[in-house]
Amino acid sequence: MLSFILRRVVIAIPTIILISIFVFTLQKLLPGDPVLAMAGEERDPQVLEFLREKYRLNDPIPVQYLTWIGKALTGDLGISLRTNQPVLELIGQKLPVTIQLATMAMVFAMLIGIPAGIFSAVKKGTVIDYIANVVALSGLSIPNFWLGIMLILLVSVKWKLLPASGYVPLSEDPIRSITVMIMPAFVLGTALAATLMRHTRSAMLSVLSSDYVRTARAKGLVERQVILKHAFRNALTPIVTLTALLFGELIAGAVLTEQIFTIPGFGKLVVDAVFNRDYAVVQGIVLVTAVGFIFMNLLADVAYVLLNPRLRKQ
Amino acid sequence: MSLDDTITSPDLLVVKDFSLRFRGAPSDQINHVSFSVSAGKTLCIVGESGCGKSVTSLAMMGLLPAGAAEINSGLMVFEGKTLNLADPKAMRKIRGSRMTMIFQEPMSSLNPVFRIGDQIVEAIKAHSNATDGDAEDRAVAMLRRVGIPAPEKRMRDYPHQLSGGMRQRVMIAMALVNDPALLIADEPTTALDVTIQAQILELIRDLQAETNMGTIMITHDLGVVAEIADTVAVMYAGTIVETGPAERIFNDPQHPYTIGLMSSIPQLTGVRGRLSTVPGMVPTAQNMPTGCRFATRCPFAQPICATEPPLVEMAGGHQVACHFAPLEIKLKDSL
Repeated sequence: MLSFILRRVVIAIPTIILISIFVFTLQKLLPGDPVLAMAGEERDPQVLEFLREKYRLNDPIPVQYLTWIGKALTGDLGISLRTNQPVLELIGQKLPVTIQLATMAMVFAMLIGIPAGIFSAVKKGTVIDYIANVVALSGLSIPNFWLGIMLILLVSVKWKLLPASGYVPLSEDPIRSITVMIMPAFVLGTALAATLMRHTRSAMLSVLSSDYVRTARAKGLVERQVILKHAFRNALTPIVTLTALLFGELIAGAVLTEQIFTIPGFGKLVVDAVFNRDYAVVQGIVLVTAVGFIFMNLLADVAYVLLNPRLRKQ
Repeated sequence: MSLDDTITSPDLLVVKDFSLRFRGAPSDQINHVSFSVSAGKTLCIVGESGCGKSVTSLAMMGLLPAGAAEINSGLMVFEGKTLNLADPKAMRKIRGSRMTMIFQEPMSSLNPVFRIGDQIVEAIKAHSNATDGDAEDRAVAMLRRVGIPAPEKRMRDYPHQLSGGMRQRVMIAMALVNDPALLIADEPTTALDVTIQAQILELIRDLQAETNMGTIMITHDLGVVAEIADTVAVMYAGTIVETGPAERIFNDPQHPYTIGLMSSIPQLTGVRGRLSTVPGMVPTAQNMPTGCRFATRCPFAQPICATEPPLVEMAGGHQVACHFAPLEIKLKDSL
């Protein structure tokens, strides 16, 4: 198992390097001059030159890349061109917010999507299955931002049940922190729940017609055991893989959701950094996201092996 | 014999006039089927793919998907009690304890993600309050009985670590661990190598002799039938066309379909020629002929065959559903 994980980590390294080169190069191709953005009204060539020199923007691009990646390896992702804060510190501040949002959204999506998928597979062809599918399709089709705005209008403005925006750190007031995050998590999780539901349904359908499920029934097991133990345990493998892949979608969705609910998270940091040509921050964020994504997939691979005894002894 | 007579029948299982139709199908998938099995005896249900032999056994076990099929007539009496196929709870209690089943595909019939020991223990605990320890001991003992070496160790194996033959032994262990009165074996050897086939058949026969359970063996392999059957029911397109003691079916087949099946067995001796086959295909539910269902493929068919054939009783419990039974000459010799 350990060697399996190590192998996976080693395989991930070239991926991360490629991503970092790609992001770095892409940044340089973007129109706009970060120094101009930084200097604001100031147009004194000497000041601009000083800034360029300070941030080593006159070096050849490969050298700039190596400088950056070398420091990144020691945990130094540079300094925000805008706020002068270390990028790592910025990310450290914003990431937990988004992790909380993403986790709550994922928990919500799993709590709704997986049982709904199981239910609709078991009740295939019935009214329940039909309704579940219509709801799922709506969940996929309704845009995040529209749902978010509607919820704010209804739940916050009209019924005054939940706050429309803001953020309270989990460490400060857990209950309030979660309450504030409910609506954004719901908005972010809706599409995921629908995706999960559809995939759970199809995974369950293929498993439910398998021979070993028939064997489980032939043993005289109660239907609940047949479905939740024998069938679901096998359907879980594709669901876990999907969940890891959805992580990317989750981060992308978080960008939008955080804008709607003005949550000071990772997504907002990305958007601000891109608009302000804050190279160091954008690079840092993409690198952290890529590593996170790879980590999630590594977790999925490990889970895959744990779930599937056929893979264990190889 | 009226339907009520079956209740007092000494037979372990009596299926009487059983008809079943899949929802939306234009004709009955299983058409007025009757057969019986006694304790300690083996009934072989023989027929081509799609003739309804597996559907019959799945119906007996209550394993057809809910709402998929409608039972139009007949009853099944098992251990003196009429099976209530419409009551899933009652069927579940019988299933896996008094009446058990093994399947064609040992490779896929065991759940790949659970240890085989756990799967057997689960079968025990589904029908008793045995403690984990007791259930495990019983599972180990059962694995030993089906000829699995080092059963304590094998308990911790996953299905993929066993060969096909071993997996079928595990399936048999799982099916017999609750000491059933009836074992339904649905083509248990079809997916196995010939040498393993013989071992599995022998195992089933030995265990049957030990426990006196009745066995229904579903197969299309006449070699298996010859090996193991006490009685044979030949099934064609959802009807039983001929039934009787095995040696009578082999030596004196009366139905043209049975005759066709028998002559399609390759012989080692005698004149060599083209292997005889039954021409054509089993009719689908959409174009099921009225009257005798075999008429469309029968070389002897006459206009009368468009009417329902009578069930002709012959000596020794031999029954044939054919307008022309009994045959005037003994066909076996002229084959």
